[in-house]
Amino acid sequence: MATTFLPPRHEDDAASVEPRQLTTTRSQSDRLFRGGVSASGALVLLIMALVGIFLTIRALQALSQAGFSFITTQAWEPDGGNFGIAAVLSGTVLIALTAIFFAVPLSTGVALYISEYSPRKIRQTLISLVDLMAAVPSVVFGLWGFFFLQGQIIGLARWISTYFGWIPFFAVDGSDPDDPLSTATVFTSSTFIAGIVVALMVAPITTSVMREVFSQAPVGEREGAYALGATKWGMIRSVVLPFGRGGMIGGTMLGLGRALGETIAVFMIISPVFVFQPHILQNGTNSVSALIALRYGEATPFGTSALMAAGLALFIITLVVNFIASSIVSRSRSGAATDG
Amino acid sequence: MKRVLSAAVLTLAAVLVGPLVPASAASYVPVSGSGSTWSANAMDQWRRNVNQYGMRIDYQASGSSDGRNQFRNGTVDFAVSEIPYGLKDGNVVDPLPSRPFAYMPIVAGGTAFMYNLKIGPNRVTQLRLSGDTIAKIFTGVITKWDDAAIKADNPGLTLPPIRVVPVVRSDGSGTTAQFTTWLASQYPDIWNAYCQKVGRGTPCGFTSNFPSSAGFVAQSGSLGVSGYVKQDQSVGAITYVEYSYAKAAGFPAVKVLNKAGYYVLPSAEAVAVGLLGARVNPDLTANLSGVYASSDKRAYPLSSYSYMVIPTSLDNGFSNEKGNTLADFANYFLCQGQQQADALGYSPLPINLVKSGFDQIKRIPGAVIENINLANCKNPTFSADGTNTLAKTAPQPPACDAKGPTQCGTAAEGGAAGGGSGGGSGGGSGGGSGGGTTSGGTTGGTSGGTTTGGGTTGGGTSGGAVTDVTVDGGGAAVVVDPETGQVIAADPVVDPTTGEVVVDPAAAAGAVTGGAYVAGIPVSTEASSGWGPYTGLLLATFIVVLALLFAPPLVARYMAARRSGGGA
Repeated sequence: MATTFLPPRHEDDAASVEPRQLTTTRSQSDRLFRGGVSASGALVLLIMALVGIFLTIRALQALSQAGFSFITTQAWEPDGGNFGIAAVLSGTVLIALTAIFFAVPLSTGVALYISEYSPRKIRQTLISLVDLMAAVPSVVFGLWGFFFLQGQIIGLARWISTYFGWIPFFAVDGSDPDDPLSTATVFTSSTFIAGIVVALMVAPITTSVMREVFSQAPVGEREGAYALGATKWGMIRSVVLPFGRGGMIGGTMLGLGRALGETIAVFMIISPVFVFQPHILQNGTNSVSALIALRYGEATPFGTSALMAAGLALFIITLVVNFIASSIVSRSRSGAATDG
Repeated sequence: MKRVLSAAVLTLAAVLVGPLVPASAASYVPVSGSGSTWSANAMDQWRRNVNQYGMRIDYQASGSSDGRNQFRNGTVDFAVSEIPYGLKDGNVVDPLPSRPFAYMPIVAGGTAFMYNLKIGPNRVTQLRLSGDTIAKIFTGVITKWDDAAIKADNPGLTLPPIRVVPVVRSDGSGTTAQFTTWLASQYPDIWNAYCQKVGRGTPCGFTSNFPSSAGFVAQSGSLGVSGYVKQDQSVGAITYVEYSYAKAAGFPAVKVLNKAGYYVLPSAEAVAVGLLGARVNPDLTANLSGVYASSDKRAYPLSSYSYMVIPTSLDNGFSNEKGNTLADFANYFLCQGQQQADALGYSPLPINLVKSGFDQIKRIPGAVIENINLANCKNPTFSADGTNTLAKTAPQPPACDAKGPTQCGTAAEGGAAGGGSGGGSGGGSGGGSGGGTTSGGTTGGTSGGTTTGGGTTGGGTSGGAVTDVTVDGGGAAVVVDPETGQVIAADPVVDPTTGEVVVDPAAAAGAVTGGAYVAGIPVSTEASSGWGPYTGLLLATFIVVLALLFAPPLVARYMAARRSGGGA
């Protein structure tokens, strides 16, 4: 309990117009609590800083040798002195973007259904189920993607490449729609498949953020929209979505942050290549975290340093994405209620 | 109710604790290791087996390179690897660990080439390749299955123009190291040309990290590559992996041409014969050039063995108790454990390696020397006169496996897809069409019903017996032209030279249902009608998963309802 004391007013001091001094004396428990909470907050920042410093120090050896070519080189042979993150970083970003492409419409739909349309009886169950999806270990998603989804999704990938192959992104080398014997393996282990699996992993977090902001759309404005004759969909478009825009963007960015760092599911699905692979339907892609998972066990000390440097790059990118997310969220109307 | 429950709990506890009771159990402590996925199937089996003696062996199959690294860093008590420390891979020399160590052979086996290839609807199970062709496949020189070189190896198969998809390991791997050692020593020109193409220095020698290039697929771990190849969409894929993985996946492995001019599978016998040519270095690592060059007709050229890196001092937290456990474990797998090697897809170690292995066990601190006794060793290769029983009794390859215009075929009946009806229809059609050819007894995919295969497939037993059919049939059919076991519905005649049996659509359909699967590879077709403990366990797992899915939301709702009910 904090007690604020108002100093007694002295009539004889009426001449002085200075405002009264407020002093706050905090009780023992209050001080302890404040201290504890501040320490936790500071600790989080400290840990983040230490991670960054650790990565930088360990990465210096590799970075000083590679110099600027670290960003432009595609190969990864640290012991041969020829290594860089151009291929892995672009792969990471492509996988994350594919994931977001699938996750955002899915999450928006699920969040709108739960917050606006679902019968009140099953709402809590649905929320728990979505949260449960977030609790499924990523290796399970990886196994599912590798042994089940991959075989099922090939037809779609082939269809897209057949009809939209003229768009450079969807071109697939080695696929020939006119040849019935052309191998389906060119469509496996691709950015596309990894992206879909990651989409399912980021969807729960995006959904929960969106659902939270949608449910906070002010009742008065909702009623107002109805009063003006809006249908339910009209109300959602004119009230809920604009109100929740900040939360939607924030949720998306949070999902993107997770998609960038997703490791084991991607690792199990992709067939790592060390060239820039813009064809998202085609076999072979790479990601920074999968590279680290693949190589840290067998790396030489210098190779480990190079992996640390790759990790540092990913760390910085994820931080930047999350900072952008927070700033967008906190500036928006709904953002005050959620934190990014 | 309560009493019943506690009784049940007690019974359960007794069941769980029971097997752990043996007196020696008290002295065993958990031992951890990591490394090779090549020998992981054998390691896993042995670990499960010794669990009953109270030994807990943790083994993480993360690849040989990772295993050696972890042992060097002292994070594990032992490592398993196919190649020793100190070799130069590319520009890097793998440094020796600072802790004292020794190599101990653990199990032999063949690096097999597992493939997924179909001609029409039928899976090819009799593919034969020469080393030269294999080298060209894994260096991107041969890109189509109907390449002339592959055709020359397989005169009995009409191979389709499907793309060859070499599947390689993406992680640092002893399997890759063994395969590339063979490539570098046997086909240096092809291998060096490839190294140059992918930007590695030449001569590039062996490597643990296979340089992948366009058209290749790279997967991590032996399970990753075999799992990729076995998927339905991976038609045209081929990978190098220990034979046990192909066996476990129910997929065929390539018969590789040896120096004597015979195509052989990496069976336990073929590996045992092949390893007669291995020169064992003083530190127990192997010089395999003699294996590659073995002139025995029965030898598999890519035979090798993998070894355990064991500590010989108490560094890095290794204790005498751990040493005792590790020594007893090693003692178990060098002797009794080797009996299972064949069934798993490996080959048991011969007596000279076991003897040397025993010498290494004795160097483990804490090992009880009295326990280590060759006389008590139940290794299946031991014989009274000291020769390798397995190599001595290994059957000669059938004449149709010789290099030339003949090619063995087998009854491609049974298999996992098989069931009684499949076998029956396949057999029936075989009877009809098989009669038309001279090969009679061994008429490929359709003859199973009339010949030796009939007994096995009709009975619905495992395909393991089919292996024998190959050998017997091949041996008996000396005169006969070869057959491929392939049924091609498009061609209405029996091809006189290849013996490809061609049948009416109905028979072809029968062959498809009955024979679309693997022959020569044991496939478990255990009757699944019984309600065994396994089924019960599966059901329990299913219920637990369902409960996990639905319990939290239901409980949450129930609690919420109670709370609001109480409040109102």
